[in-house]
Amino acid sequence: MAERVFRDHPPHTGTRFADAFADLVRRHQSMVFTIALHYLADRPAAEELAQDVFLQLHANLANLKSEEHVTFWLRKVTAHRCIDYKRRRTLPQVSLEEVAEPSEPARSEDPFLARKLRQVIASLPERPRLVMILRYQEDMGPEEIAEALSLPVGTVKSHLQRTLALLREKVSRSIGEVTI
Amino acid sequence: MTDKNMNLEDELKSALRRQQAPPHFTERVLAQIAEQNSSTQAVRTPWWSIFTQPLLRWAAVTATAASLVIGGIHYRTVQRERTQGEAAKQQLMLALRIAGNKLQLAKARVNEINATPSTNRSRSEEE
Repeated sequence: MAERVFRDHPPHTGTRFADAFADLVRRHQSMVFTIALHYLADRPAAEELAQDVFLQLHANLANLKSEEHVTFWLRKVTAHRCIDYKRRRTLPQVSLEEVAEPSEPARSEDPFLARKLRQVIASLPERPRLVMILRYQEDMGPEEIAEALSLPVGTVKSHLQRTLALLREKVSRSIGEVTI
Repeated sequence: MTDKNMNLEDELKSALRRQQAPPHFTERVLAQIAEQNSSTQAVRTPWWSIFTQPLLRWAAVTATAASLVIGGIHYRTVQRERTQGEAAKQQLMLALRIAGNKLQLAKARVNEINATPSTNRSRSEEE
């Protein structure tokens, strides 16, 4: 996409370029917004952060070579911006009630369990939280996550294992050994 | 992987699935980009716009070239005057050294005459 945008419309202005960029935003806005939402557990903050990410994308589009490159770049920049955002602003601790509710009905059998999982993930430290979001929201492998977060693959695998164990324990404690 | 793990991972995928961005998200992003572009242009306008006019551009080039030529001439004049001053200073120093040597010689001569014995002087007076 980026390649096509720049091959067909070299300057950063013009209606056709704007249309092509708008298509690019529409294709990726859900991904960027949801990573930020799951990380920050704050809808307005997630929207603000996602908009900043797309402004940065607009400024850096010339350096991106393909659609896959754009996707990788967006995930990486969103993840790093989430960490920076959280460090700059101390957001209030999330409670079970405050965790973002999905706009579509959950495919899960148990909406309470899904809510509990999101709440536990929102309370994790920054790196494990991002690892979990990228693994289970974006279905990325440990190697891809390691590259996006500039972490060793071993660290990513270890975060995944420990967080899964922690989640199982926390969810079991609050819900009981029903479905997990 | 155990069934428990599979279940938990499935639940996680479901809980963390992608959600729709807020309505009109794309439009707001594009509006911000347009705003950013216009503000960047407004900031650039005051000093860039001067040189977009050909007459002013040539005037600026001419003024720069003239300044360079005048500056060069002035620099060379100063350098020449400095060289001439250095040469004059060297000549003066040489003249002073020569005059000093002459004075030393004259003083030595006077001392020599004064030191001649008085008998020699009286004999020469009798003769």
